[in-house]
Amino acid sequence: MEPHVWSNGVVAALVLGALTVGLAVRRSRVWREAARDLVRRRPLALGIVALFALVAGLDSVAWVGGAGASGPERGDFVALHKPRSAVDRLFPVDFQERSYSAPLASREFYGDAPLRYPRRHLLGTDILGRDVLHLTLKGTRVAFLIGGLTGLIVIPLALLFGVSAGYFGGRWDDFVFFLMSTLASMPSLLLLIALIMALGRGPLQVCVALGVTSWVGFCRVTRGETLKLRELDYVQAARALGVSEPRIILRHVLPNLTHLVVITFVLLFSGLVLSEAILSWLGIGIDGSWGQMIDQARDELSREPVIWWNLGAASLALFGLILTVNVVGDAVRDILDPRTLRERL
Amino acid sequence: MTRCALLAAGVGLALLASACTNDPYPEQDSGRRIFYTTFGEPPKTLDPQVAYSTSDHLVLSNAYETLLEYHFLKRPYTLIPGLAREVPEPRRLPDGRVAYRFRLLEGVRYHDDPSFGLAGAGRTTREMRADDVVFGIQRIADAAVNSPVIGNFEKIVGLRAFSRRLDELRSDAAFAAQRIDAQYTAAGGVEGLRILGPHEFEVVLEESYPQILYWFAMPFTSPVPWEAVAWYDGEGGRHHFAEVAVGTGPFRLVRYDKRSRIVMERNPAWYGIEHPEWKAPGATYPREGEPQDREAGRLDPAYVGRPLPFLERIEFRLEKESIPAFTKFLQGYYDASGIIKESFDRVIREDALSPEMAALGMQLERSVTPGVYYLGFNMTDPVVGTPAGERGRKLRQAMSLAVDAREFLRIFLNGRGIPAHSPLPPGLFGHDPDYENPWRSLELARARELLAQAGYARGLDPDTGQPLRLTFDTADTSAAGRLRYQFFVDAWKRIGIDVEIAATNYNQFREKVRNGSYQLFMWGWIADYPDPENFLFLLWSPMGQTASGGPNTANFSDPDYDALFLQMKNRVNDARRLEIIRVMQGILERERPWIELFHPEDYALYHAWVRNVKPMGLPVPTLKYRDVDPERRAELREAWNRPVRWPAYALGAMALGLFLPAVRTFLRERQ
Amino acid sequence: MLAYLLRRTLYGLVTVLGVLLFLFVLFFLYATPEDVARRALGEKAPPEVIQRWLVNHGYDKPRFWNAERPLDTMLVEHFRRMLTFDFGRSDADDVPIKKRLGEGVLPSLALTVPLFAMGLLISMALSLLVAFFRETYIDRTGVILCVLAMSVSILIYILGGQYLIGKLLRWFPISGFDASPAVITRFLALPWLVGLLNGVGSDVRFYRTVFVEETSRDYVRTARAKGAGDARIMVHHVLRNALIPILTNVVVAIPFLFTGSILLESFFGIPGLGSITVDAINANDFATLRVMVYIGALLFIAGQILTDVAYTLVDPRVRLE
Repeated sequence: MEPHVWSNGVVAALVLGALTVGLAVRRSRVWREAARDLVRRRPLALGIVALFALVAGLDSVAWVGGAGASGPERGDFVALHKPRSAVDRLFPVDFQERSYSAPLASREFYGDAPLRYPRRHLLGTDILGRDVLHLTLKGTRVAFLIGGLTGLIVIPLALLFGVSAGYFGGRWDDFVFFLMSTLASMPSLLLLIALIMALGRGPLQVCVALGVTSWVGFCRVTRGETLKLRELDYVQAARALGVSEPRIILRHVLPNLTHLVVITFVLLFSGLVLSEAILSWLGIGIDGSWGQMIDQARDELSREPVIWWNLGAASLALFGLILTVNVVGDAVRDILDPRTLRERL
Repeated sequence: MTRCALLAAGVGLALLASACTNDPYPEQDSGRRIFYTTFGEPPKTLDPQVAYSTSDHLVLSNAYETLLEYHFLKRPYTLIPGLAREVPEPRRLPDGRVAYRFRLLEGVRYHDDPSFGLAGAGRTTREMRADDVVFGIQRIADAAVNSPVIGNFEKIVGLRAFSRRLDELRSDAAFAAQRIDAQYTAAGGVEGLRILGPHEFEVVLEESYPQILYWFAMPFTSPVPWEAVAWYDGEGGRHHFAEVAVGTGPFRLVRYDKRSRIVMERNPAWYGIEHPEWKAPGATYPREGEPQDREAGRLDPAYVGRPLPFLERIEFRLEKESIPAFTKFLQGYYDASGIIKESFDRVIREDALSPEMAALGMQLERSVTPGVYYLGFNMTDPVVGTPAGERGRKLRQAMSLAVDAREFLRIFLNGRGIPAHSPLPPGLFGHDPDYENPWRSLELARARELLAQAGYARGLDPDTGQPLRLTFDTADTSAAGRLRYQFFVDAWKRIGIDVEIAATNYNQFREKVRNGSYQLFMWGWIADYPDPENFLFLLWSPMGQTASGGPNTANFSDPDYDALFLQMKNRVNDARRLEIIRVMQGILERERPWIELFHPEDYALYHAWVRNVKPMGLPVPTLKYRDVDPERRAELREAWNRPVRWPAYALGAMALGLFLPAVRTFLRERQ
Repeated sequence: MLAYLLRRTLYGLVTVLGVLLFLFVLFFLYATPEDVARRALGEKAPPEVIQRWLVNHGYDKPRFWNAERPLDTMLVEHFRRMLTFDFGRSDADDVPIKKRLGEGVLPSLALTVPLFAMGLLISMALSLLVAFFRETYIDRTGVILCVLAMSVSILIYILGGQYLIGKLLRWFPISGFDASPAVITRFLALPWLVGLLNGVGSDVRFYRTVFVEETSRDYVRTARAKGAGDARIMVHHVLRNALIPILTNVVVAIPFLFTGSILLESFFGIPGLGSITVDAINANDFATLRVMVYIGALLFIAGQILTDVAYTLVDPRVRLE
């Protein structure tokens, strides 16, 4: 299957998932209150995160065609046959200059050649003449891919291992604990690098590697919490009444872990996106990420006159997303759980 | 507790304040004739028989000397005697073999080193002799040494046989336990290396091979004392031989901290210093050069004819990132630098120094490096290679017409470089400055037409109805590399070809190369010695990458080309050789295994206080000719580096302003 | 306690074995030794040279199973060498890895130990201050600043620090290192500053939570009732009691001072263990990389045992069994 069909499918699934979660939140009183509380406390940050998410979502919906013909001399014959996302369609097909141009400039930055799209590049263009605003917007999707996909890998795994180890105990618990301490004892950045070197480059590989390194902290929390829940009266009672174990886990243990899942996911998100920036600097990040843009732009700081718009746009976008996610994450933690997760993940 | 913290904070602040200078060197060094320069990556080895990279030669070429050297000023490159007394002439022997007789300088001594204790208790040095040169060449043949150039010396009679004998004998543990020089002697030596006296020897070659003299100007043939090789075996706390430099050169290694700092000091026992009266060509500042050398002050009477070297010490500092290195150069803390592309527009205006830089007294030296960068096709690939026949050829020609090397140079190298039309760089025999490759100009219309003829109208692959998809393989995963390759991708988009960059790690790249499963790549080659053979062999089929692991990464195989290469290879530079080269060039022009990009051009900057600079392009020592004016340097550094202090005060005041109201409340409460 | 320590150590050993197995699988199964050899020896190396290199580095043995001599495999060799600390030579340039580690430890410690001490001191002082003035404008500004500081990527701190302080203001050398005492501080000043900025945000926030929580305890009320001043309560009561959660955070970090800081060292050109690691990554030097991961794991395990011991020292209620 073509990658864009796949990606469209993922977006559709995510939207559906979000809708289901929204409905579930509406139905449960506790969650509805929490959501309302969150919106009341941090409307601005929440709005910005939602905006980022919207851009990421729009950039994931892509289809072929509708590009129109482009000029014969500099025309891009390939783009006509390639899927373009909703975000791409905000810009002309060949929205590219020959090299650097400053924000809203009408001439090239070096040399004095006129631009093909004078005064149209809001944030200027990079060394290959690509529009920086376009690149920055596209970076949003990568950031959400890192956070979201990794979350999708980490959470089920951590729940599976953490809950089963905590609930059943015994040999299995010993094994899970051994696995956790083995992974935790390796320096995480090194482990990350080693994993990516072994798995190869690529978005999925990076997310899997990030998942492996961030899985342990989450697993430890769920295991501990399950251990506690197992001893609670109503769980003991359910067991004494002969309720089957999968049913106990589904009905009594998992629902009590949901808040942990939500908090962990939000707190994990910003850390993951920041880690990717470091991976990009090591040359093993994801193509098109803000980290990669920062890495490409860092040499430009010593150009004279200095080229600031590349680095500025990417680092501002990165900072904006991380900051708002951090603020929202703090609020979520305060609302859902003031105590258990105090130790940092 | 609070007091303790305050005290610690105070001490910390005081430390920071005292450290507030950007001078990276201790004060006492400021008045000395020290040359400060950088190295971008640590040398891999200092073993002269093994070292093959520029970073290795940067250091070891000051410590080890060669029998022949290049004239510092004359171009084209001219050989002069180094440790040899003269450049030898070939002598034809009746059996078709060719001999070169070398006579060496007498009284040349090695650097002081404890390893000479092996030759006699208490000794710290000894005289260099002809058998040391022979010992060095024997080391090239010794498989255990891992010399990369054994193939280039196999014309020496009996070298391969020696190598094999040694290997067989080594399987006997008792033999392998002997001292290294005894092993070589026991293996019978190399037949074609005849020692005629303590300072005289002869090299006998199977057939004519004029390039051999260039190899005697490279460190591979440097004399090496067996004592040092035997002593530095990496055991018992002793260094490995690759980590030391025991040569005869004008500078000796005093500190080898290859992950941060390498220091070399003038060798007071160098023959040029001890015997200025010899006026040895390798130890005296040259009296003649090119016309422009006089203008550039390189034939200053203050230096001409004076014994070398002028510097007291050379300091190499590791600088992996080019930006900080260049910043420090501009601050005056390095004496020389390349120009990083980011600062190019500040430094160079219209092919000369910008007024701003000229006002700083900066000197600019340009030189074309004998090298070539190119895009290569894997000629064994079914789509772009020979198996696709005429279609493949047309496709390659079309792709060649879509790549604008001049634009690439402009964007990524600030125009530093000469667009290449053939593999041969300027300054080499066979390079034709008027030659214009018909496929190396930007002609999109013609490219599209060719593409249609190849069956890919508008770039569409008839099999899929989609744009033709090719992959560009690279082991460079850096962000900067990605931008460079994207340039080519964008170029080919314009004729409708969809090229995907596959940046993988080195192992995966190697695996692809080994399996032959790659289509496009970018590669560069810098000459070992100034001869066309050193470039044209890159497309000779026995050097095929996939088949033999050779440097012919394009896997180009053309019987005519191969035959012509063999004819051209060992010829002297005559009209016939030129003719053959032209025919070979024609084959490459038609077949397009490469899209030639450019010959790199080197721009080097030097501060006003540096004297006697002439770029060489080849990895040979020039630091012994160089000099600096330390007083001027100290003055200018002082003037350029006054720190700007007010932001620190402003920041402090701000913090104070923030806390003051709270502190007042606190004090009030306490009372 | 001794029995407990013994058990902990034994468990640590099991974990180490797990780490080693993981490393073996990761490093040896994906890169063929031939590729590593080629990378080390260069494209021009002839096959016989490569073969010799493989033998010298022990890469010529069967990986898991050797029918004739079951113990003569790379797996066994890997465990034997790591457990006996016989690290061998680097894959990239044949330097003994132990020697290289020895060279790297001092620059790393020179960077990390003062950075760690200053960071601890500053963030403790700041968080005490912020907690002391809780619910005032200082607290609010402080928390906002912390979140802001946390949200900036370390890459931006490094680039900004080099550009602003190194290039524009010329306070310190933009990068570089020289271990001689006369000049060492001026090289380290900038990386320290960047490291502090990067770490202080999250640290202050964390310590502040701990302190604020501690101030809501009963004993604080008792002390206040006895008439002790706010400042005295903060330092004598709260700080002392808050040490336990802080200790967990701090002691675990101590062993990692030895492994240096990958980012700071490589950006500022400090030849410590962190930049050795980056070089090893860039040069495909697995021999060095696996040693670094292995040592990191050893130190981590040591740190955890150390933390447990520290608990008993700080808090007499804790007994290790």
